[in-house]
Amino acid sequence: MDDLIIIELYHRREEQAIAESDKKYGGMCRSIALRLLGYREDAEECVNDTWYAAWNKMPPERPSFLGAFFGRITRNLSVSRWRRDHAQKRYDGMEIMLSELEDCVPSPDAPEQEIERHQLAELISTWLDGLEQEEQWLFIRRYWYGDLVKDLAAETEEKANSCAQRLRRLRVSLRDFLDAKSIEVEL
Amino acid sequence: MKSNDIYDGITDIRDDLIAGANAEPKKRKRQIKQLWFSAVAAVLVFAVVGGIMFRSGGRVELHTAAIAQAVYPEMVQYPSDPSDYAAIDAWYSSKAAQRRDLGDVSDLQSFFSRSSAAFLTDTEEKNKVYSPLNVYMALSMLAQVTDGQSREQILTLLGSDSMEDLRKRVNDVWNANYRDDGALTSILANSLWLNENLEFKQDAMDILAEDFYASSYRGKMGSGEFNQALQDWLNEQTGGLLQEQAGNVKMDRNTILALASTVYYTGKWNNDFWKEATASQTFHTPTGDREIDFMHQSEWDLYFWGDHFTSVRQRFETGGYMWFLLPEKGVTPEELLNDAEAQEFLFTNDKYKNDWPKMHSLTINKSIPKFDVSSQFDLISGLMSLGVTDVFDSTVSDFTPMLEDESIPVRVSEVSHAARVLIDEDGSTAAAFTVIMMTEGAPTAPPEEEVDFVLDRPFLFCITGDSGLPLFVGVVNYPVE
Repeated sequence: MDDLIIIELYHRREEQAIAESDKKYGGMCRSIALRLLGYREDAEECVNDTWYAAWNKMPPERPSFLGAFFGRITRNLSVSRWRRDHAQKRYDGMEIMLSELEDCVPSPDAPEQEIERHQLAELISTWLDGLEQEEQWLFIRRYWYGDLVKDLAAETEEKANSCAQRLRRLRVSLRDFLDAKSIEVEL
Repeated sequence: MKSNDIYDGITDIRDDLIAGANAEPKKRKRQIKQLWFSAVAAVLVFAVVGGIMFRSGGRVELHTAAIAQAVYPEMVQYPSDPSDYAAIDAWYSSKAAQRRDLGDVSDLQSFFSRSSAAFLTDTEEKNKVYSPLNVYMALSMLAQVTDGQSREQILTLLGSDSMEDLRKRVNDVWNANYRDDGALTSILANSLWLNENLEFKQDAMDILAEDFYASSYRGKMGSGEFNQALQDWLNEQTGGLLQEQAGNVKMDRNTILALASTVYYTGKWNNDFWKEATASQTFHTPTGDREIDFMHQSEWDLYFWGDHFTSVRQRFETGGYMWFLLPEKGVTPEELLNDAEAQEFLFTNDKYKNDWPKMHSLTINKSIPKFDVSSQFDLISGLMSLGVTDVFDSTVSDFTPMLEDESIPVRVSEVSHAARVLIDEDGSTAAAFTVIMMTEGAPTAPPEEEVDFVLDRPFLFCITGDSGLPLFVGVVNYPVE
C-alpha cells in the first residue's frame, strides 16, 4: 500500500494502519530489531511497540519516508531495551555494533564539547555525503539497518574479512572527521 | 562522547540517505557502466530459432541425436511468513547462489542498445515490444552451430571475441537471470528440435545442452505430432500466454533443426497500487485521445531525467524494476530510442543507475496507465543492418559445426519476434517470442520536493531483473489495443 495512504489511515485513527505498516515495513523493522537484540521475542515486542509509538506520533507527524520513520523508532526502542536490560541479558548484536562504533568516538585528545544529538546526526550525514556510493551504502546498511557483515560481504561479492576491513576504515574515517569538526568548533 | 551517542547520531541521519541504502548495493566505481540484461517482473518471452532445411534432398542416414532434458537449479521458495527467519535466510542463500559477476558488460550494452534501436524504432505508431535477452540467447545458439564468417558476424554483433567467451557469457547470464522461487519467475529456456533423418555433430549438440541449458528433441519434420510437441513445449515454457503465436510456429519437412529459446517472467510490485484509486483518464495516442484506466500512487523515491525525458521506476517485490520513460512533449518514443543519453540511461545496469547525475529523491505522484501491449515483427532486415548477413544466404553460409554432411546447403529463412507485456495494480506479466527459421538454400530539472509523473502520452518502458540488466523494452502508443 502507498505510504501516503498508510499515513492517512493513522491520521484517521484506522487500526488498519498498523496491519498495513506491518505488512509493508514489518520485515524491515523485525530485521533491524533482531540483528540488534538477537532474541525473537524481544525483537517482536520492539516491532509491536514501533506501531504503538507510530500511532502516538501520527497525527500530527506526516513522515516523508515512512521506512526511515519506523526504522528509527525500532532502533530507538532497541537501544532503550539494551540500556535497560543489558546487565541481565546479553544482546550480542547491539554489543558488537556499539563496540565497533567505539572506533568512531573522537579521540580523548580532541576538545570535549557538548553536541546535540541532531547536530551529530547532521555531521554524520555530511560525512556520508562525501563517501563513494558503495561505501555510503555499506556503512548505512551495517550501522543503520544492522545488516551482518557476512551478508553485506555476500551482497558486495567480496570476502567477509575484506568487508570488515572496509567497515573499519570507514569508522576510523568518521572518527577523524568528527575530530576535525571538534577542532573547528573550538577554534 | 560514547558509542551510544554515535549510535543515536546514526539513527537520525537524513531520510534520503536511509532511503538510498534501501536498495541494491552500489558497486565500487568501475570505468565502464554495466548494462542491462536481467529479468524482472511480469514478463514472459519465448524465442524460437529454428528450422534448418536442406535443398538437395539427399537422404541422410538416421543417427541417434542426444535427447536430453535440461536440469535447472533448485531454488528455495520465498517464505510466506515474514517472521520465519530461518526460511528467509535459506531463501536468501538460494538467491545468492545464482548471482554471477558479469564484470564489464559493455559487450551486452552495445548489443542491447544497437539492436533495440534497429528493431524498435520503426513502429509505424503502433506498439512494439522487444526482448533483447531472448534474442541474445537465440543468436548465441545460432553462433554455436555456425563457423567462419557466419559465426564471426554474429560474434561481432554480440560483442564476443570468441565462441568460448560467448558460451561463458551465456551461461553466466542464464544463471544471473534465473529465478523460480514462488515470488518471482524468470526462466530462460532453450531447446533443440532435430530432424530425425539427419546426422548431427554430437559435440555441438552437447555444448548446446550443457552451456545453454537446452533440452533436445528429435522427430519427423513436418509431422503434426512433432509440431504439436514444439508448440506444447513453447506453451509450457511461456505459461500459455502466447498460445496463438505458438500455434503459428511450424516446422516443415525441409526443416533441419529448430532452436527454440524462451523467457518467462512474472512478478509482483513491491508496493502495489491501490485498486480503489484506479480511475479512467485520457491518454493521448498518436491518432487521438482515449479513455484508459490509470493507476495512481504517491511514493518517496528517486526521480530521473535527461535532456529529453523523465523517468520513474516501479520496484518488484523480490528485485528488479520496471522503468517508465516519458519523452518530453514533441519527442516520440522512437526518437528517444535513438537519443544517446536515453540509450545510456536505458542500458545502464540498475546497480549503476543510482550514479546517474540527473536525479534526486522526492515524493512522486505516479499516474500509470494499465496496459496490455504486444507486437510481432521480422528481425531479418534489422539483423542484416546490424551486419549479420551470411547465415541468410546458403551460398556463403557456414553451418559446418552442425551437420555431419557438410555439403548440405543451409540458410536461415525466418527470424520473427513477438512479445507481450501487461501491467496492472498487482504487478506485471509479459510474453514474447522469436522464431528464426533456417532453411536451405528532457525535460527541465524537477521540483525539489514533489512531482507529478503522468504517463498520458506515448512512452517507453523497460523491465529489468534481479541482475539489473534489461529483459524487455517497449514502445507504448496505445495502452489498450
